[in-house]
Order: sequence, then structure tokens, then C-alpha cells
Amino acid sequence: MANVSEPVNPGKGHAEHGGDAHAHPSFLAHHFDTPAQQFNAAKLGMWVFIATEILMFGGLFCAYAIWRAVDPAIFDQAHHFLNKKMGASNTIVLLFSSLTAALAVRSAQVGKRKLTSIYLVITILCACAFLVIKYFEYSHKIHLGLLPGHCFGHPGFSGAIQNGEEVGTCLRVHADQAAGTPEWVRAIDEDGHVQLLPPRSNMYFGLYFMMTGLHGLHVLIGMSILGWVLVRNMKGQFSKEYFTAVDLGALYWHLVDLVWIYLFPLLYLVGKPE
Amino acid sequence: MNEPNAATFQLPEQMSTVAPEIDWLYYFIYWLSVVLFVAIVGAMIYFAIKYRERKGHKAEPTGHNLPLEIAWTVAPVFILVFLFHKGFEGYMNLSIAPANSMEIRVNAKQWSWEFVYPNGASSDKLHVPVHKPIKLVMASADVIHSFYAPALRVKRDVVPGMYTTVWFEATHVGKDDIACAEYCGGRSEGPNGTLPYQPSDDPDNPYPPGQMTGHWAMHSMVYVEAQEDFDKFMKSIGDPCESYASQGKACPGTIAAAQGLKLYSTKGCVACHTTTGAKLVGPSWKGIWAHGETTDKGRIVVDENYVRESILDPQAKVVAGYPPTMPTFRGQISDAEIDEIIALIKSLKDEGPAPAQQ
Amino acid sequence: MAAVDIPISGAHAADTHDDPDASYLKAGRGIGSWLTTLDHKRIGLMYLTMVCLAFFTGGIFALLIRLELFSRGRTIMDAETYNRFFTLHGAIMVFLFIIPSVPAALGNFFLPIMIGAKDVAFPRLNLFSYYIYLLGAAVALLSIIMGSVDTGWTFYTPYSVQTQNSVISMTLGAFILGFSSILTGLNFLVTVHTMRAPGCTWSRMPLFVWGMYATALIQVLATPVLAITLLLLCAERFFGIGIFDPKLGGDPVLFQHFFWFYSHPAVYIMIVPGMAITSELIATFSRRAIFGQFAIAMSSISLAVLGFLVWGHHLFAAGMSEYATMLFSALTFLVAIPSGVKVFNWTATIYKGSILWASPMLYAMAFIFLFTIGGLTGLFLGTLNVDIHLTDTYFVVAHFHYVMMGGTVIAFVGGLLYWWPKMTGKMHDEVKAKIGFVFVFVGFNTVFIPQFIMGSRGMPRRYYDYLPQYEIFHRISTVGSWILGTGLLITGYTLLEALWRGKRAPRNPWGSAGYEWMTDTPPCLANFHKTPVFTRGPYDYHLATPEELATGWDEVEQDGKKG
Repeated sequence: MANVSEPVNPGKGHAEHGGDAHAHPSFLAHHFDTPAQQFNAAKLGMWVFIATEILMFGGLFCAYAIWRAVDPAIFDQAHHFLNKKMGASNTIVLLFSSLTAALAVRSAQVGKRKLTSIYLVITILCACAFLVIKYFEYSHKIHLGLLPGHCFGHPGFSGAIQNGEEVGTCLRVHADQAAGTPEWVRAIDEDGHVQLLPPRSNMYFGLYFMMTGLHGLHVLIGMSILGWVLVRNMKGQFSKEYFTAVDLGALYWHLVDLVWIYLFPLLYLVGKPE
Repeated sequence: MNEPNAATFQLPEQMSTVAPEIDWLYYFIYWLSVVLFVAIVGAMIYFAIKYRERKGHKAEPTGHNLPLEIAWTVAPVFILVFLFHKGFEGYMNLSIAPANSMEIRVNAKQWSWEFVYPNGASSDKLHVPVHKPIKLVMASADVIHSFYAPALRVKRDVVPGMYTTVWFEATHVGKDDIACAEYCGGRSEGPNGTLPYQPSDDPDNPYPPGQMTGHWAMHSMVYVEAQEDFDKFMKSIGDPCESYASQGKACPGTIAAAQGLKLYSTKGCVACHTTTGAKLVGPSWKGIWAHGETTDKGRIVVDENYVRESILDPQAKVVAGYPPTMPTFRGQISDAEIDEIIALIKSLKDEGPAPAQQ
Repeated sequence: MAAVDIPISGAHAADTHDDPDASYLKAGRGIGSWLTTLDHKRIGLMYLTMVCLAFFTGGIFALLIRLELFSRGRTIMDAETYNRFFTLHGAIMVFLFIIPSVPAALGNFFLPIMIGAKDVAFPRLNLFSYYIYLLGAAVALLSIIMGSVDTGWTFYTPYSVQTQNSVISMTLGAFILGFSSILTGLNFLVTVHTMRAPGCTWSRMPLFVWGMYATALIQVLATPVLAITLLLLCAERFFGIGIFDPKLGGDPVLFQHFFWFYSHPAVYIMIVPGMAITSELIATFSRRAIFGQFAIAMSSISLAVLGFLVWGHHLFAAGMSEYATMLFSALTFLVAIPSGVKVFNWTATIYKGSILWASPMLYAMAFIFLFTIGGLTGLFLGTLNVDIHLTDTYFVVAHFHYVMMGGTVIAFVGGLLYWWPKMTGKMHDEVKAKIGFVFVFVGFNTVFIPQFIMGSRGMPRRYYDYLPQYEIFHRISTVGSWILGTGLLITGYTLLEALWRGKRAPRNPWGSAGYEWMTDTPPCLANFHKTPVFTRGPYDYHLATPEELATGWDEVEQDGKKG
């Protein structure tokens, strides 16, 4: 007899059903009537979730649009401090990883388990490459002091000046502890030119770190999802009839890629050439 | 409601020119609401009693009545359009100050009000002459506050980093409370951790200084006075521009314009702007105050916010026909100095020479 | 033949807990089976427990606030404590109580049953959303220990950036709670789209489900914007990124726009479920189909859509342009129409019905009474020049308590009394419930009518202290809070008492034609014994068979079983 305290658990397999008469695939959860219904529900669920992610990033894009309209001078200059080569590499890496994710879905669809694993591994490795490149970008900025808020102009989050004395970290919990208005910062941009950044560039870098940081967090989440899908695939839980998790995991990964496709031109490419 | 401006049960007395139209609309909505409420709830209770479950009584199956449904969907639209129209009309009256308004600066900070009069003197109470339009130009030093005078029916948030304005014309002599209507924190212990206070019974000073401070205690008064009494008040607060200067604060009025003229040289504005009407790299300041200008972002009016923005974010809105090359002065100019530049520009009206150099 | 085509089960289901036909309460014993359950009904009950605890906590803060305001000067607490208490009252009531209340407790329980499904689309996600709720609640309440928050539940900048209190933990708590709300909404959307039983067309779907669907739309689309707003606020406090702080070049009014872009749709998350419950109660207790059923369903969707367009009416005095205020005022009046349509349709349903004056119906009628007042006072606030006088005064406080408490909470309590027998298998004492109702209704109006008057006379909100002319209003309001609190305690006691002393409930104690009443009381684990086929609407009293409408009281009495 079915164990009534765990009525629906597709991962558990069919064994507990014992002599139960109804024949349904092991991957079909008990609360669904047909595999098609289950798949449709899962797909709709993922699309709704993607809509929520788009709205969340949308708030940041909205903030970007507002500040760009208010302060175009900052946006014209600050983008020189972003490494276009690294950004472009990241774009190519993510686009390629989307391709391999789609190929993973295709090979799952035709029942090629080993190939699916290979594609998933490549996708995850691409994600790692993205994060490594991001690490280099971030550490360079931290080194230059191109940091948000109070930390603007203070390399390595250190060296804040208060009352003429150097105090530890520039991270502040309360704005009223800020050591006055930020100063102009003289820095060398990615092309080796010396640039003078106006004090409110901290706003630009605040947006930069929030947008790319939130995106980076989603790369990590996407990697974890794909990693879990990989493990399930290696355990043989997928087949031609059932590969929903691969499909939805790849769908999520496409979203992560898409957000970057918007971020890259808006942050790295738009601005006055010099 | 014998006199047109006496207090009613729901509303304070009417002390300003906009109060009657606001109150009329308030009571229109009130009586409309009473009628609708009595009709709906009355019908509901009547039906619930008349059709209560009892022996021999059966419910009738629900039919359809599309005409009725359309009617009660469309009919409210007319009433609502009327309310919207009247409300918006009234709001525009509230927002656009007459050109000849007397300007009084309002500085809000946690937790007090300061009113600065055209002669530069300041007071913690607002005195205004009766039957004259008064425009309050307000700024906050710290967090968002809100200026609220119930009998005058005016309220406007006072936001740091920008100027907000509100205007009124008082209709009779009297007084009104000023309250802060946007939460801004506060505490109730007196200085040195003394015991929490008890409010005073003086209606003009319910929260004596040095005791309780906070959002609820940001209380002041508006005194509407006959012209002679107002003039006496202005004489009594004197001309403390000197004390302003020693505190490093701007002194509004014509003296501030003279300070502004000094800054015009020392800050370097003279390199690109003239005060005579001649065009240089940047537009001349003569006669631009309160005029419309076409910028690369559309039409604007040269007011306090535009001047401030041009000093701090010069590329935001550039006057058409001029290059976008003005550098920003953020970090190099204080709020007080911005006020003095504004005062200078205001003084450079179409007629009259610029104030003499000092 | 039964028009709903389900074999009507007896008044009580089999008792052995291995039996899949046994009540869901008996399927699996011990606290572990509850904490790891995937059954939407048990998850709904766990949510119900938590939201009731949250309501109780928020209510204690409310009583303390009103006690402080009984007299001028210091009454029982100092001002910092008062500022923290009104902030906590608001934050707990909004984020921990009212937003999850109907959807996560009653919606989780009844939505699948009402569409003939076995569960929601994603049961594990459902349980996960519950644990996220617990985590979010814990983080938010952690802020109390860490110095608490005194910004008001709206966290306006720059004060919220500068204040020395623990804003970050409270906002992170709300951020986490937002995900619980999103996941609940996501689950409901997918469930309604993909798991309706045969015959359950969109037009046969109960109005409660339509309401949950519309609410889910808002939850899914609006909450992410709150998430990013709160993240930006935390970043502002921690890094000083400067987006909202004018000292760093930011715009404090931008925060208000971002905040209200979520928080206005949020109030529709709060009220649409309350309206959905009211539709069910009015139909059952009038024994008549809801008049204008399609219009009510569509009005729920309209509220969801239009609710996104009116956030600016919270900023009429904040320094927006006149053009913006005009747009928002016009749209605000537009959103009044769907609410009005519902009220008219409910009243027309009672007309020529057969009205049972049971306690849930008292609450449904109270909803119409109180929501009408709340909605009409919204007209004052949508009218621009009148709003200038009334905004940020007690008039607004009274308005939103009338719609949120007089609306949602009243409907929520009515729903609990209505569905308590179905959920627990026990009948509560109707006499006590009605006594509680009288206290609640009288107390509520006593608290809030004086607040309308204070507000229009010029009393601002969030005030620790006030001028002498307002004292009488504050005193009446405080006394009202004691009456209201008593009523709620009586009602809570009535519901709890039923659990151990209540009569065994029959299958359909109210004689409703609703689909949820066609199955066991309490329902079996899979909700129905076999997949139902709906051949009539949930309010088609003229099509339902006598067996379907039979209350089953006779069988209960014959069995002679009590308790």
C-alpha cells in the first residue's frame, strides 16, 4: 500500500507501490494525472519564475536608466574603466555556454546520457571561466579604488580619511559617519590614460557592482542548478520521455545569459569614445 | 456653519483662499459617500432580513441583468471624472503661486522650523500679512519633513537636496498650527538623560525647546497679521545678516545677491557667464530668472531647482545653442553659496543694474 | 445522479491511518510528519498557525501604541520605543501577517480542492516556501533584538539610511519573506492553469480561486521589485552607493517610487483574497449563485492589472510634477470601479436569496459595511486638492485600517469560521462566535471612526504626542481597541475550543453547493476519492442535487458522536 505520509515524491521510484494496480511512469508525481500535464506545469512554473527574475533585474535597469538620464557625464567617462576585452570574453563564454546548454537538452531529448553529461560539464566550466574573469575584473577595480559609495577612491576598501587621520575600512554602516563628500579621483583607465573621475562616479560604480554582482550571484545559482541536473543525469534519472530538469535548468541558464547580454553593452560599450 | 470660514466638526476653520473650494469638494464627497453607504448597507441589511431563511421561503435562482450591471459600472465613472476634474483644478491652484508672492524661505531640520524673511532675518515662527500671497521655498538639512498648516489647507514635503514650494493667501487675521507631516524620528528624553517631558499647555508653544524633540514636536505657528503688525514684527527681528555671515550661512534678500556677486568672480562663473546680457560660452544670467528656456531635454523654467542642478550636474539640461562644457562644482560649493548665486540671478531681472560690487 | 459526479462520502471518513481514504489529519502521526509534509492542507494549517501568531504579536504592539496615546505626554513608554513599536506593528502586520494570510493559509488549503486537484503543482516548493517564511520571520524579528527599527514600515530615505537602528536585518527579513510570497503565487498560477479537473472550465471556477489567481499574478510580478528596492536600501546603508541619499547625489523621492511600485499592488494582494472569501460566503449563506459572477471574476483581474498603475497616489505631496499627479489621480479613480462592481453584485446576490444569519455571514456583511467605508474614504484621498489636506494624517490611517482590517481581516475571520469544520472536522460554538463578532464590529468602528475625524481636523500620523484638542478622539479610539481586542480573543478562543470540545462536523454543515463541500469533512489525503468531474458551477443551487446540499447534521446526530 502506498505510504500515505509521503504521497507525492517522484524521486522515490515506484517500489513502494508494491502490488498497486495503476501503471504510471516512475517519474510521474502522484498529484499529476499524465506526464504531459506534469511537464506543462513544470515549464510554466519556470517561465513564471523567470518573469520574476526579469522584474527584479528590471528595477536595477530602471535605476540605471534614471541615473544615466540625470548624469550622462559620469556615464560617458566611467565606462573607460571597464575592461572591454574581459567583458567581451565573458560575453562569448556565456553565449557559448548557452549553446552547450541547449545541446545538452537536445542530447537528453534523444536519450544520449553520456553526451548530455559532457555538454552539462562544459556549460558549468564556462560558468567557472566567467566567474574567474569576473574575479580579475573586480580585483583590479578594488585595487584602483573604483568602488561604490564611501569607498570610492580608497583602494582595497581601506585608507579612509576621517578628521585628517587614516581609519580602517571605508565600509560604513551609517551615512552620517561618512568623511565628507567624495573627492575627484585620478586613475588610470584600461587604455592606460590618466583620467579624472568626478566625485559622483561612485554612483556609477555602485550600479556597476550591484548589477554585475547580482548577475554573478545568479551565475552561481545557475551553476548549482546545472550541477544538480548533472548529478541526476549521471544517476540515470533522465530518459527520452523525461528530461524536464535538463530542459528547465537550461532555460534558467539562458536567462542568466540574457541578462548579461543586456548588461554588457549598457555598462561596457555605451558612452563617448575617446 | 454660520460664517463661511468657521471650523466644522470635521474640518478646521478656513484661513486661506483655497480652503473654501477644498472644503466644498470634501463635503461633496462626504455626502456622496453617506448616500452611497446608506443605500448599499441599507439595501444589504434590508434584503438580509426580508429574505432570511425561514420555513416556506426558498431562494430564487440568480438571473442575469446585463443592463443593470452596465449601468452601475458606467454611472460611477461620471461622478469619478467630476471628482478628478475638480480635484486636479484645485491642485493646480494650490501649486501655482501668484507672480507677486512674497517669498519666505523655510529651513527644516530635525526637529525645528526656521523661517527666513526677505530682509534676511529669521524666526522660529511664521508671521505673514493678511490678504497677501505668500510663497514658501523650502529645503531640509537632513531627512524628509513636511510642512502642514491645517487651517490654511497646505501641505508639502520638504525634501533634502531639492527645493519644494507651497503658497497660500490668508483671508483673515488669526493663527494656525504648523506641524511636520512626514515622520522624521525623535526621542523623548531631555538632555543629559533627564526624565521624559510633559507637554506644556501653552497652545503656541506646546513643546518648549530643550525638552522633547522629534517628529511630533516639530511644532510652530503661523500668525496672520494686519500689515502694520507684520511690519512691526519685521522690525523686531532686525537685520541679522551679519550674524548669518559669521555662521557661514547665506543671507537671503538683496544682501545675499551681493554675496552672490562675489562668488560669481571667485568661483569662476565670470569666465563663461555675464550679468549684462552678452553671450559667452554660457548664457548670460541677466533676465533669465523665472523665464522659460529651451534646453536639450525640452522646455524648463529657470527656478531654484534648475540653477542648483546646473551647478551640480551641468550636463543634465543644457540651454539650446550652447555647448555642454560646463564643469560640475559638486564638492566645491556649499548649499549656502548656491543660495547666494540664486539670489544674484534673481536680482538680475530685466530692468535695473546688477548690485554694486562690494 | 449527482451533478458533480463524485461519490458523496459519508459524514466521517475511516479512522485507520493507513487508509488512503482517511482524513488528512490522520495520515501520518507525529511532528515529523507535519514538518516534512507535502500535503497542501497541512502546509496551509502550518501557515495558519504562524500568521495567527504574527497577528497576535502585531496586535499586542497595536494595543500598546493605543495605550500610549491614551493621554498626552508619556503614558507608558518613551518616544524611541513608541517609534519602534509603530514600525514593528506595521512591518509584522504587513509582511508576516496580512500578505501571507489568506493565500498561504486558506488558499493553500482550498485552491486545489476547489478545482478538483490532488495538490498544488509543486508540493515541495510549497513546503520550501513555508520554511522561507519561517526564516524571513526569524530574520525580521532578529532586528528587534539588535536594536529594532524606527523608520515606519515604509523605510523612507534618507532617514532609514541614517538612523542608528537595525534597518538591514528588518529589510533582509522582508526580502526573504518576499520569496515565500512569490513561490506561493507561482504555485497557484501553475496549479490553476494546468491542474483543473475535467469540467472545471474557467467559467465554472469558484470565485475564491479567481481571487487567488489574480492575487498570484500580483505576488509574482510586484514582489521582485520590492526585493530589489530593499537590496538597494541595504546597499545604501552598507556601502553608501548614494542612489537615495542626497548628500551623495541621490534622490530620496526615487526610493518612494520604487517602494510604492510594489507596495501599492501589495494592498491588492491583501484585499483581493478577502473579496474572494466574501464571494464564497455571500453565495453560500444566500443559497444563491453570485450575481454577475463573470463581472466579479473579471474585476479581480482588473484590480490586479490596474493596481500596478496607481503607486504615485502615495506621493501627491512628495514633490512630483503636476503632470504625474494628474495621471495618478485619474488612474486611482479608475481602480475604484471594479471594487464598486463587486459590492453591488454581492448586494444583488442577497436580494431574493435565503439568508442564513450564521457567524460567517455576519462577517461577510460586516465586510461589505466596512469595506464600503474604506473604499469611499479612498475617494477623498484620490482627489488631489483634498488629499493635500488629508495625506499623512490619521484620516489615511483610518482609511487603510478600514480596508485592510475591516476588509481583509474581517473576511479572513469569516473564512476561518466558515471553513473551520471542513479543515478540522469540528464545529465551533456559534453563540460564542456571534458574541465575538459583536465585540469585533463595535470595537473596530470605535477605534477608527474617531481617527477619520482627528485626521481631517489636522492630526498628523506617527505622532508620539499630540495637541490637546485631539485627546478626546484618542481616548475613544483606545477604548475601542480594548473592545476589539476582546472580540478577537473571544473569536480565537471559540475556534481553538472547537478543536477539543466541538461537535463532530458533518460533511456540509452550511448546506453549500461549493465544490469543497462535496468531499469528506475533513478531506482525505488526495482531497477526493476519485477524480471529480464537474458538471455544474459551484453556486448552481438549482442544479445541485438534494444529496449534495444535504448538511449531514441528521447523520451526525444519529451517530450520537460528540467530540
